[in-house]
Amino acid sequence: MDEIIYMNLETSPSLLLFVFFGTVTVITALSVIFQKNPVVSAVSLVFTFFSLAGIYGIMGALFIATMQVLVYAGAIMVLVVFVLMLLSQRAETMSRYRKHPIRLVLLSVFVLGFFFLLYSALTTGVPHTEQMGKGYENAEYSFPIQGTSTVNAKGNVATVGASTYLDYLLPFEMISILLLVAVLGAVILAKKKLTEVDQTKDTVL
Amino acid sequence: MNPVIGGIPVQYLLGLAGILFSIGVLGVLIRRNIVIIFMSVELILNSVNLVFVTFSKALSHINGETIVFFVMAIAAAEAAVGLALVIAIFRHKKSTNVDELQSMRW
Repeated sequence: MDEIIYMNLETSPSLLLFVFFGTVTVITALSVIFQKNPVVSAVSLVFTFFSLAGIYGIMGALFIATMQVLVYAGAIMVLVVFVLMLLSQRAETMSRYRKHPIRLVLLSVFVLGFFFLLYSALTTGVPHTEQMGKGYENAEYSFPIQGTSTVNAKGNVATVGASTYLDYLLPFEMISILLLVAVLGAVILAKKKLTEVDQTKDTVL
Repeated sequence: MNPVIGGIPVQYLLGLAGILFSIGVLGVLIRRNIVIIFMSVELILNSVNLVFVTFSKALSHINGETIVFFVMAIAAAEAAVGLALVIAIFRHKKSTNVDELQSMRW
């Protein structure tokens, strides 16, 4: 495993792209949690989402890259910026733990140890399957249709779509119900009660 | 299991996902603004998506990429409900500081 990695290190242009996008991802993610102004944090988060979409594109997951830009960098960030503009934010919002250097060091050591635990678990604890799965070789996915033989789907988007609508049809329908319930709950949570409207005419919201 | 995905070693991708997850956890721990905490949770969800796509490619199985789609849908639902909760809390307490939300402290 190691010799393949070292062999490919200097020859691959996609590795350079990965280094670029990975650096942008880490820097903007750090900027998200260390900026004082929440709007600057939101803009940094948009850059994080775009560079992650670039990494998905390098890996060949084109459908995921498109959905990353559409859903995360588009829809969710519009919601976040909308709420940030609605609320009147004060400048200083860092935790009181940050004012004590010992506590900050302890928290950072905890997070670093957490990272190494996570990394070692991810790199060593994976079951190495010997058989090739379906859907990756030449980006083809053969699925059975009732009464006929198997049908092939070609390309990344077609394979992901076939897997979604054939293997995961029930979770897909449940996700649509979950989104409907979430939108209804958001409206009920965020709307004012009708009796409060007369008294709170001049408040910020 | 392919050790290299399109020229990128799997360890690098997993390391990047771990760094993103740790940054998200650090943001949840040290920030007091509830919207920033929400953005840190989004970072955590994105690192999980990166792990799913990496293993989908490394194990040559398409189902990981399908699950990323579901994670994104659940993140959108969480964004809608969570930000509505933020607005409701702000209307009630006039603050988005989590240190001042102590009414459920025993």
